[in-house]
Amino acid sequence: MASMSDINFLLLIFFLVSTMFAVEKGLPMALPGKGSKTVKLKRENVLNIQAFANGSIVIRGTGPVTVKEIKPVIEQKLVANPKLVIVIETEADADYGVMVDILDELRLAKATRISLRTLRASS
Amino acid sequence: MADIIFLLLIFFMVTTIFKMEEGLPITLPRAKSGADQERERLVHVWADRFSRISINDKLVRVSNIQAIIASRLEENRSLIVAFNVDHRTRYGLVNDIIEQLKEANAVNVSFTSMYEEGP
Repeated sequence: MASMSDINFLLLIFFLVSTMFAVEKGLPMALPGKGSKTVKLKRENVLNIQAFANGSIVIRGTGPVTVKEIKPVIEQKLVANPKLVIVIETEADADYGVMVDILDELRLAKATRISLRTLRASS
Repeated sequence: MADIIFLLLIFFMVTTIFKMEEGLPITLPRAKSGADQERERLVHVWADRFSRISINDKLVRVSNIQAIIASRLEENRSLIVAFNVDHRTRYGLVNDIIEQLKEANAVNVSFTSMYEEGP
């Protein structure tokens, strides 16, 4: 009888742990839908962050940065201009992971207006 | 005591949804700001670094994504498309998928990430 409750207890712990792992994490984002209007933005309200195929990241107007440097720079710029729209321009040959790294840093910096674009290899 | 544990055991057994073996073998990108996603609203799009794309356990072409997602969207308007994409995938492929989703008017997406220790 005692071994029975031991087995129960072990099974309980197993299912507890596996339930907790079932949660999925992700970075949510809203895309512009079909036929949504293009919005014209003032140049001073737009900040471009470019990610290149060789893994380098460049913030327009600031220069090359590492992933960890993005958050403080963006926080600073958001304080200066809360209406800032941040455009992540990723080269088509760059790794998807680099884009997620940047997006993650922007979310940590509490940036909400984010747009995704692809840089053509020629540009 | 054993009764209570047994009841708890049954509760967790029923509520556990086992991770289905679906999609492609990938390594997800890591992120600190990942938010919990509602499982019921998710439809997964898998892509690996060899540019293979899989939805519902079937390999699909980029040009077919729009039709598949559009039909899923009719069943559930509040659908979230989860990108289970390998971190070394070309961004160009991800962009192609995003373009298809825009055409299908699937505006809610989530870039699935693995949890990384907080800031």
